[in-house]
Amino acid sequence: MHGPEFYNGFQGGGYAGGAVAPSTNLRENEVIFGGAERLDNLIKATLKMMEGDLFVVLNGCIGEIVGDDVASVVSKFQDQGVPIVYAETGGFKGNNFIGHEIVTEAIIDQYVDKYAVNKDKKIKGLINVWAELPFQNTFWRGDLQELKRILQGAGFRVNILFGNGSAGVEEWKTIPNAQFNLVVSPWLGLQTAIHLKKKYQQPYLHIPILPIGAGQSAEFLRQVVEFAGIDKQQSEEFIRHEDEQYYYYLESFTDFYAEYWWGLPASYAVVGDSAYNLALNKFLVNQLGLIPGKQIITDNVPEKYRAQIASEYEHLADDVRSDVAFIEDGYLVGKTLHSVDFGHKPPILFGTTWERDTAKELQGYIVEVGFPASYEVVLNKSYIGYRGALTLLEKIFTTAISKSA
Amino acid sequence: MPKKINLDIAEVENREQRLGTIIAWSGTASELHKQSNFEARGCGGGPGKGGCQLCELEGPFTQGSVCSEQMVECQAGHVRDAVLIQHAPIGCGAGQVPYNSIYRNGLAMRGHPVENIHCITTNLLENDLVFGASDKLRQSIDDAVARYQPKAVFLSSSCATGIIGEDMESVAKEKEEQYSIPVIPLACEGFRSKHWSTGFDAVQHGILRQIVKRNPQKQEDLINVINLWGSDVFTPMLANLNLRVNYVIDLASVDDLAQLSSAAATVGFCYTLSSYMAAALEQHFGVPEIKAPMPYGFVGTDAWLREIGKVTHREALAEKYIASEHARVAPRIAELKEKLKGIKGYVATGSAYSHALIQVLRELGVQVDGSLVFHHDPVYDSGDVREDSLGHLTKNYGDVKHFQVSNRQQYQLYGFLQQVKPDFLLIRHNGLAPLASRLGIPAAPLGDEHIAIGYQGIINLGESILDILAHKKFHDDIKNMSSCLIKMVVGPKDPISWRGIRN
Repeated sequence: MHGPEFYNGFQGGGYAGGAVAPSTNLRENEVIFGGAERLDNLIKATLKMMEGDLFVVLNGCIGEIVGDDVASVVSKFQDQGVPIVYAETGGFKGNNFIGHEIVTEAIIDQYVDKYAVNKDKKIKGLINVWAELPFQNTFWRGDLQELKRILQGAGFRVNILFGNGSAGVEEWKTIPNAQFNLVVSPWLGLQTAIHLKKKYQQPYLHIPILPIGAGQSAEFLRQVVEFAGIDKQQSEEFIRHEDEQYYYYLESFTDFYAEYWWGLPASYAVVGDSAYNLALNKFLVNQLGLIPGKQIITDNVPEKYRAQIASEYEHLADDVRSDVAFIEDGYLVGKTLHSVDFGHKPPILFGTTWERDTAKELQGYIVEVGFPASYEVVLNKSYIGYRGALTLLEKIFTTAISKSA
Repeated sequence: MPKKINLDIAEVENREQRLGTIIAWSGTASELHKQSNFEARGCGGGPGKGGCQLCELEGPFTQGSVCSEQMVECQAGHVRDAVLIQHAPIGCGAGQVPYNSIYRNGLAMRGHPVENIHCITTNLLENDLVFGASDKLRQSIDDAVARYQPKAVFLSSSCATGIIGEDMESVAKEKEEQYSIPVIPLACEGFRSKHWSTGFDAVQHGILRQIVKRNPQKQEDLINVINLWGSDVFTPMLANLNLRVNYVIDLASVDDLAQLSSAAATVGFCYTLSSYMAAALEQHFGVPEIKAPMPYGFVGTDAWLREIGKVTHREALAEKYIASEHARVAPRIAELKEKLKGIKGYVATGSAYSHALIQVLRELGVQVDGSLVFHHDPVYDSGDVREDSLGHLTKNYGDVKHFQVSNRQQYQLYGFLQQVKPDFLLIRHNGLAPLASRLGIPAAPLGDEHIAIGYQGIINLGESILDILAHKKFHDDIKNMSSCLIKMVVGPKDPISWRGIRN
């Protein structure tokens, strides 16, 4: 479907997404008699029509409910040496986050495993990174680039796996060679890491907080370096260098932040998926000293991860905690935000387009950071790491002061 | 006699059955018109009734497009004081993102308070598909009523609910009685029809059955305008005939929908959209549909205004307005024609809308050798030959050499553009212009569907084209740098690539 990535930062469909993707466009006939033959024909035609290193067949609601045997259709092509995989992704399986890991595992099992060479050879310092959900996260392209940049700066070789910072399928083929898997999110990617642990005996490091700003980024890099057991000299030099750059700009920003005459917002709420929510909270509290109101996590986190995530909010800083709620329903999000005491000044809402009305009603500010961000145009913007944090500061305070006159 | 629209059945009859709609064809506009046999079909001689079946091309390769359910989101979801409940897995809810944007921008454009769409999904999971989800639907209706106090609730079906045979009708009936507001089930499973325009009809069918007033007080100065979210150009235009406008369906209130039956006449900006509702209003409620070419270009707008004048007994006012407008716009149009000399355009939009836009382009002196329409209805529901928009185009404005019916297939557009090499493109749906961009061709997206309406519309479209031609620098730059994943089997000699890739 083309709409969602269009009205979410106007990201564009990329190389083969959006309106480009071949589709069987099933009709009543296939609902009754099955659509396997139509799929078979579509694959044959697609191979003639389109350039691709890897083809992924997604089964939808119709195919899954009527029981089309997609596996046998696709395996015929796999046997002929076509780089093609299939995944059972009927809409009733759950949201995008669930589907993402289904697809990832399908590619690993049906493609990587088959085409990777020297699977048993592990390369020290090579890591697979599992972090943000492409397209769903408006800023994923820039974020993954920044994540790769800082990890490389600290001395790693990085399989970032998605986006233009990745070397594509060639990178995927080296997944088995990585020293370990790095999951940088509260829960997304954990399944994949566990799967890879079983499959290729790779350990994994789980860091729930995406780093934003110098403090978090340094802490993040030190954790990864420690786990990897690689030489610390390069990472420490990199951190020092990045700090210099970062604080050069922050010093100048101080003039504004310390004495902007017309006042700045002090309290905030974040509405968004668990990864961005937690990351932003850490940054807003520790870097800017903002006051957390209520935090709302919207990605329908599987039950088993919720307590762990909630506990992270108990110690955002030594002296700061925040209330967190898991709510998927946009109406209830609005209701909840209305009930929060944000103090004597209107808050900043870090949210999605759905929160625009609430922000207006609260006479506050809206910074769209989550799906959907329909009033943001995003090219390579990033809000994480060292550079992303500066961009985020620009965005927050441009929003705040442009409302003042 | 045209086929009578049956409002007794719960599910709308789809377009391919009613009108013989096709989604793939290639040839000249005049040939398509001939094969469509509008007049004979209008007299009930359509497919299966002695008339010829319009042949349709089919090939193994197709790209994703749009489904009826999405049209239901944009229409039923855009009624201001109603709620739409999608009885569907969460993925269908992704459509709420674009339609929320369109709704908010549309509200702003028409001067209504801006707010999010009122759209709920029942978020069906695997269990629901096995055991049924009627209780979930009931709960969602209760929530919708409690949260928004709507004047109507629409329920849309989905592929999943269609296949498992959810009985939405009985739930709707039960809740309608409980809350004493219309609760309207809409049959719009993606697989039901090969073209999404059936989704328009599904919404209109539901509104006609459950919202439109049965015995209304007639309002002789009220004109129904069936449209989307476009800017308000009809009010000032029809004010010259002392007529008021009732805009439906997007951005209307439930009361606006209820009073459809009280109007003096019905018009639309595009027969693709208005065909079903307008014909049904005439057949079942005695509201005449204005049977004339659509109001685009001088010929169309003149005839359209005259017909409205006739039906509403305002002939003299219509003539006066036509004369003054001709005089007003002539100088600017002459200037625009001078500036647009030698420019070639291409239209890639819905069916009747494309016919209309080509007329306006030709009035501006722009050369149009090709068009892609997303579908083709050989006849509209009224069957009246005065609504034969393709015939009107070819008769008054000449043939279009490369006329293709193609359901938003990027790979086909790639070939079509190689064939006609236009300087710009008119589009109305996302998904095609990015491909044109890679070929160095700028597109003028017509998000405001009213931009080209009436005499002022000729000027508006001309100005928009000049704006977009200036963007060419950007697109040329992209052309030189970007890659295209569609292989060259789609060559200029055979742009309908299904011929080239038969399995």
